[in-house]
Order: sequence, then C-alpha cells, then structure tokens
Amino acid sequence: MDLDTQVKLVIYWNTAERGEPPVIGEVAKHVGRPVEQVRESYGRLARNRLLVLEPDGETIRMAPPFSGVPTQHRVTAAGVSYYANCAWDALGIPAALNRPAEVVSRCEQSKEALRLTVGLDGPEPSSWLFHCEVPAAKWWKDIVFT
Amino acid sequence: MLFFRSEELIDQWCSSKGRPRRPSVRLDQLWQMAVTWYGTRLRADSRRPGPGEMRGIFESIGLHGDFWDPQADTFG
Repeated sequence: MDLDTQVKLVIYWNTAERGEPPVIGEVAKHVGRPVEQVRESYGRLARNRLLVLEPDGETIRMAPPFSGVPTQHRVTAAGVSYYANCAWDALGIPAALNRPAEVVSRCEQSKEALRLTVGLDGPEPSSWLFHCEVPAAKWWKDIVFT
Repeated sequence: MLFFRSEELIDQWCSSKGRPRRPSVRLDQLWQMAVTWYGTRLRADSRRPGPGEMRGIFESIGLHGDFWDPQADTFG
C-alpha cells in the first residue's frame, strides 16, 4: 500500500475511533515515517481533496465528512461524538462509518433543533430540507464557505 | 450546506441574507449523496466520484440542471 493511502487510512480510522483527527506525530508513528514525509503526504491528499489543512500544513481542518473543529452539526454513533463540516457531511458520517447514528443540528433560519435518527438504510422519514447556495462547479473554490 | 425546516424558511433565510435561492434537497436524496460520496471513505480503495459520475449521480436522484453540474460554467 502506498504512503498516501496508509496516511489517509490512519487519519480516517483514528478519527472514526475517537471523534477527532489525530495530530501529525501520531500519524507518522503509525506509518513508521518521518513527520516531514507525512507532511508531504498531507499536501498530496489535500490536493486530491481528501483533506483540508490549516495554514500550518499539518493540522487537519477537515477529513470529509469529519470536521477537525466544532460545528453546529453534531453526530453520535456507537458512543462516539463527531462534528460534521456541513449538513451533507452530517449524513456522510453514518454513511462512512456504516453505523446507526443520531444527528443533532438546527434550522438555519428558525434555529429550531433538528434531531434525526439515521439507520443503516438512511434517515427516518422527515420533512426537513437541505439547501446549498454554492453550485457544484464551485464547491472546492472555497470549501470552508461551501 | 445547511438544514432547514421548510421551503418557506429557506426563502426567508435567502431573502434576509441576500443569498441566491437554490433548489432544495429532501433528506432521502441527501442520504443517497452521502452514501455515494462517503460510503467507502474508510476503505483503502475509496475514491471521489469524477465530474461525469457526479452528474449521473445527481440526475439519478432527481437533481437536474446546471446547478448540479460540476463542469457548468453558467455561474461565472
């Protein structure tokens, strides 16, 4: 398995296990490579849109669907709590984990709380809606805003 | 990419923020998007859908038009 795949899996598996992304030193230890090589791998993974990094090049802001920073979209599965980057990613976390989950978020206009049970086959019937103002062709122009 | 309780509340939010009103998506459609993008993310062989695949995926769940086209130049 190539280094980038190893690094990606260590990041995602660790995040899935404990709810937040690992620090780069932990990843380097797992893959048995120097931190500098892992940092270069982070850069390639970011260019392939599998990670979004902070300006330091080693702190993970997003490992989509997981968020490295607190957001309004909270997901709990198998006793582990996660932050999702957006409404899409709030459903993306149970999809990635292949586990039932509870999603807690809100209506952006009324601030009414959303509590959604998601099973292995998807969310319970719900009349809530998803809205994205950025067209698909522009999503990665500013993914944090999107 | 946000949740809303109703179409009316999306209208209100877009109007109050001066943001463009886009097509809304039901949660069953959003689940299909989530599974397609992230269902294999924890596997070694996972990959993101390419532009052509994305178009096909959106169309298959009823999301049509340039807004959902990753190669559209309609939006500048």
